[in-house]
Amino acid sequence: MQLLDIRNLTIELRTSDTVIRAVDRVSMTLKEGEVHALVGESGSGKSLIAKAIVGVLNKRWHITADRMHWRGVDLMRLSNEQRRKLVGQDIAMIYQDPSRCLDPTAKIFDQIAETLPAQATSGFFLKRNKQRKDRVKALIHKVGIKDHKKVLDSYPHELSEGICQKVMIAMAIARTPKLLIADEPTTALESTTRAQVFRLLKSLNQLKNMSILMISHELEEIVEWSHGMHVLYCGQMVEAGPTNRIFSQPYHPYTQALLKSLPDYEQGLAHKEPFYALKGTIPTLQHLPIGCRLGPRCPQAQKECVVTPKLTKHHSHSYACHFPLIKAMK
Amino acid sequence: MQPLLKVQALSKSFNLRAGLFSRKRFSVLRDISFCLGQGETIAIIGETGSGKSTLAKLLSGADNADKGQILLDGNIIENDGLRDNDCRHIRMIFQDSEASLNPGLTIGDMLNDCLQYNTDLNKEEREDKIKQTLAKVGLLLDHQHYYPHMFSSGQLQRIALARALILDPKVVVLDEALSSLDPSVRAQTVNLLLRLQKDTGLSYVLITHHLSLVRHISDQLVVLDHGEIVEYGQTEAIFQNPQSNVTQKLLNC
Repeated sequence: MQLLDIRNLTIELRTSDTVIRAVDRVSMTLKEGEVHALVGESGSGKSLIAKAIVGVLNKRWHITADRMHWRGVDLMRLSNEQRRKLVGQDIAMIYQDPSRCLDPTAKIFDQIAETLPAQATSGFFLKRNKQRKDRVKALIHKVGIKDHKKVLDSYPHELSEGICQKVMIAMAIARTPKLLIADEPTTALESTTRAQVFRLLKSLNQLKNMSILMISHELEEIVEWSHGMHVLYCGQMVEAGPTNRIFSQPYHPYTQALLKSLPDYEQGLAHKEPFYALKGTIPTLQHLPIGCRLGPRCPQAQKECVVTPKLTKHHSHSYACHFPLIKAMK
Repeated sequence: MQPLLKVQALSKSFNLRAGLFSRKRFSVLRDISFCLGQGETIAIIGETGSGKSTLAKLLSGADNADKGQILLDGNIIENDGLRDNDCRHIRMIFQDSEASLNPGLTIGDMLNDCLQYNTDLNKEEREDKIKQTLAKVGLLLDHQHYYPHMFSSGQLQRIALARALILDPKVVVLDEALSSLDPSVRAQTVNLLLRLQKDTGLSYVLITHHLSLVRHISDQLVVLDHGEIVEYGQTEAIFQNPQSNVTQKLLNC
């Protein structure tokens, strides 16, 4: 069943003199139980898309979409109240910077207890309290924190970044959401904790059939267990499709450059040999090039690239490029 | 061949508060020794709390060791906590280049300060040097009039590198300097670092948890665990045949 169906999502920022289009007509669909990855560099609008889905962008951002369906309900047409209720029940999000997103003035126990649904407890006051405590303890064990007594009784600043991240995940899964949006969940963590977090997310996906939208700029971590991948560049969707297909045969020059910058992907690279990298840097949002936004940096840009390329579909693998890297299509 | 940088039995401990009046010694690094030749890269890996960042601070002179020596080119630059007052030869690049640059100074002023306080160059020579260094890291001369907020993260990393390189160091310490970058920017920065190493024979101390990067650019590898070296040797050898449990655990995930 189609869980999330977004068509032509555009997010704009209106400044006094111009309109900055931070996300330009992005479409994506997500099925139940799938793990999708949203890949792109910083400033490519990944977090904006996630926040637009959850509906936490502030009023300065102007969101338009032809369609933004959550299990058949159009989120754009709901009132704020209804939308909050629906999203709060079914979608959870893990934010980028765990220690900054937790309330510094409240203890971890109170913060997790706050997210528990009210219906989960029953009975009298004391009994409810006990149930709540047990539930919080169970949640914190589930995310792999053994020392629950100490962690629940401490403030966020007393804990390490990895534990804060796990607490965030515990808060996110407290209501057993259908979709978990993880916005760069592992950037601040070192390799062993990172592996733990990934294992945890993976088991949630497999055991609870929870869909996950992973936002990341580390390609190599998500390759093995994501079903689909969407590559963004400067707010434009450049390539989307099943992960293994994109990996084995990227069609867009940007995806190819991303893959080639991984030491693991490029097998023939000798020790200390330079990586393949695109020239130049990502343009700022104020000075975006017209047409294909990769244009000025693209190794095979031609005259036609000043017109924005349409998303072309080729066996469930879509790409937006006038000159795709297809060796023999016919 | 004489190694460029030699670290001998370096130890460091901190005083922690245990009770109201009592103090507890907490030893962060114990007997760290390694050698680094010219034009080589040594990578230091380990879990959080294993003392990687402390080691970086000790090497660059931001903190003093309790015991042990650091030798550079055969000269002792740190002996049992007494540091030679010269920060020119070992420079450091921090994790967050955005936060480690002064937002109130232009890039030119910042680089000029480095030269003014550490060298005897006059004004023209300093300007000349700034020009050379900016060119070296792939920036334009006009960038010296810009403030840090006008740059993207990749360019800021180049500026941080320029600040490190302007005093012609022999060793550059990179404390997680590459982890927070986007993959394509990281590829560019790594290419720049490799090119500089090839051209000028610079040595790097790379502290990171990005293992495939370690494998690609480092010659030697030090694995730290709770302040002690558990494994030290050629990178390729350790990757192929890790001896200790800690290393196996680190490399497997």
